[in-house]
Amino acid sequence: SVTSLDSIPMHGRDLTVHPDDLMEPPEQVNDSKQEILENKDVVVQHVNIQGLGRTKEDLLGYEISDVFHSKNLIDVMRKAHIARQRLLRLGIFKQVEVLIDTSEGTDALPNGLDVTFEVTEVKRLTGSYNTMVGNNEGSMVLGLKLPNTFGRAEKLTFQFSYGTKETSYGLSFFKPQPGNFERNLTLNLYKVTGQFPWSSLKETDKGMSAELNFPLGVTNHTLKWEGVWRELGCLARSASFAVREESGHSLKSALSHTVSIDSRNSAIFPSRGALLQINQELAGYTGGDASFLKEDFELQVNRRLFWDSVLSASLWGGMLYPIGGQSSSIADRFYLGGPTSVRGFGMYSIGPQSEGDYLGGEAYWAGGLHLYTPLPFRPGRGGFGDLFRTHFFLNAGNLCNLNYGDGPQAHLQKLAECIRWSYGAGIVLRLGNIARLELNYCVPMGVQSGDRCTGTRAGHYNSKLL
Amino acid sequence: MALVSAEPWPENATLYQPLKEDQILLSDCASSLAVQAYLRMCGLPVQVVCRANAEYMSPSGKIPFIHVGNQVVSELGPIVQFTKAKGHSLSDGLDDVQRAEMKAYMELVNNMLLTAELFIQWCDDATAAEISRPRYSSPYSWPLNNILAYQKQWEVRRKMNAIGWGGKTLEQVYEDVSQCCQALSQRLGTQPYFFSKQPTELDALVFGHLFTIITTRLTSGELAERIKGFSNLLSFCRRIEQTYFEDKSSST
Repeated sequence: SVTSLDSIPMHGRDLTVHPDDLMEPPEQVNDSKQEILENKDVVVQHVNIQGLGRTKEDLLGYEISDVFHSKNLIDVMRKAHIARQRLLRLGIFKQVEVLIDTSEGTDALPNGLDVTFEVTEVKRLTGSYNTMVGNNEGSMVLGLKLPNTFGRAEKLTFQFSYGTKETSYGLSFFKPQPGNFERNLTLNLYKVTGQFPWSSLKETDKGMSAELNFPLGVTNHTLKWEGVWRELGCLARSASFAVREESGHSLKSALSHTVSIDSRNSAIFPSRGALLQINQELAGYTGGDASFLKEDFELQVNRRLFWDSVLSASLWGGMLYPIGGQSSSIADRFYLGGPTSVRGFGMYSIGPQSEGDYLGGEAYWAGGLHLYTPLPFRPGRGGFGDLFRTHFFLNAGNLCNLNYGDGPQAHLQKLAECIRWSYGAGIVLRLGNIARLELNYCVPMGVQSGDRCTGTRAGHYNSKLL
Repeated sequence: MALVSAEPWPENATLYQPLKEDQILLSDCASSLAVQAYLRMCGLPVQVVCRANAEYMSPSGKIPFIHVGNQVVSELGPIVQFTKAKGHSLSDGLDDVQRAEMKAYMELVNNMLLTAELFIQWCDDATAAEISRPRYSSPYSWPLNNILAYQKQWEVRRKMNAIGWGGKTLEQVYEDVSQCCQALSQRLGTQPYFFSKQPTELDALVFGHLFTIITTRLTSGELAERIKGFSNLLSFCRRIEQTYFEDKSSST
């Protein structure tokens, strides 16, 4: 959607590489010792946490209680390691050390153990300064974070971003349920300004949202209410009349639900696992001017093949159904084209347009087939060379408006005609766990009149930072 | 400008204004009627389309604006220039002295009548609360309607303070309107139009404002009464209405 900012995560998700990702599981002692240790019964008598300042103790009880149920020494070590992970994921400790010792004191049993977690809390207030580069834009982001604000792993964040195309600020409050960190509530207040040259449109959103996350089995659910005051305007005097007609103010009050299952081992460069995410949004039933039902999904499957190469297939799609007879707003429609969907086409420059301004569409689908292999002859193997991959890809997609009066047969037919697609190859560079840089040679095909391709139709080099 | 004049006036020229029934305010209605009168006097057909977001669609933020071919032009002054470039003009027959006089009277109408309309709409608490804010915010839902209405009110009040009208009372404004009408009435005299037999853009502008004021119901009928006191202005409005708007069933 036009309103989402690809480059700024507004949900307080930490993008740093966690040291635990690199940490190895506890060492395996050799068999004979293991037998002795496993056969020795132990009882965990005390589990302590030392080094607490503002953190409330009742929060931590849930994370460490399992250690009490250890039966033998290996069990204690394993459970203590898991408890340490759980304490770290709360985001309130800089460091957690585990000490396992025999019990002392008057009530000490001969096989009793004391487990102590020595923690170092994070500072009350941290400031940060980042520069972010997204799809063809750059911005300077200043952040203020108050982790563990009231002692139960809450987080208050303020973010201010000044960019080449947009300015925004946001206030966010995150509260997890004690004992159930994956169940949490986030409240947001924000103002976001965006410029969209492919539509000659500028948009200012002022809004608030309340979001509830919770896991259910293997799935993760998010329920969200969002109220946004949107102001649309022409980016230039030369904007098309179709875009000029969308100028003005509107209010969107929407409820949305997202369910996702993610078994991938990485978000940027997965080599195995799959992702399925389904999102729906209903606007208009809790007030506001905008009234629609929006559905979209994303499916990605990754599989490792011979010789360290990875095959990745992905499919996205979505549909916007305006309710109550009014037509959809340019701010709610889907857009297609560019390095994140169909390479070889200009950014969001596929589909319905008027005088060169892309208006978006009410239905779309996009798919990609990617093959990542190590560089030929594997230069720099084991070191720098591992960050590069050769990349072969096939992208396809379509974006259009549907006549909702016709049946599903007609809809499928419309989405299947005039498919845009492209193929090519290139090199991908992995930048930490955050981004990827691509340099591709790409041939766009199935170009319809009105679409804009990057470079010549015959194929071109392009580089993208994603 | 050379490119613009090359194209003839198209059949599908459109004029945009806010919604007639529920939304449009006195000042916008007057400005829109002035442009419509001018175009009819020129013999240029234009279709009137009402949009709730007309004010935001306009490139200058002011009503009305016209969409002609690929061009979008707003406000009477630029529209007069635009039609002149296409070869249509009402003031060609005037000499330089008369043209300067015409410009001066148009300035008078804009500085007095239009400003008075804005003042009464937004600076008079009774009118603002009973008419202006509800009408202005009618296309939007809560709480956006209140936010936009108050934002507009603050903006107009700030402008009034900037031009020195902030301290005026309603009585003073009515007096100013009377004086303005006095000057117009004197200039018009017994002629059919301000510059003898043919109407000019000044006639369109004066008609737009006076006709709208006398046919719009406000919280107080005082303003309309002041204008009705000048009989030659009344018959002027009636004459233009009958000559150019006889096919229209309603006035605003």
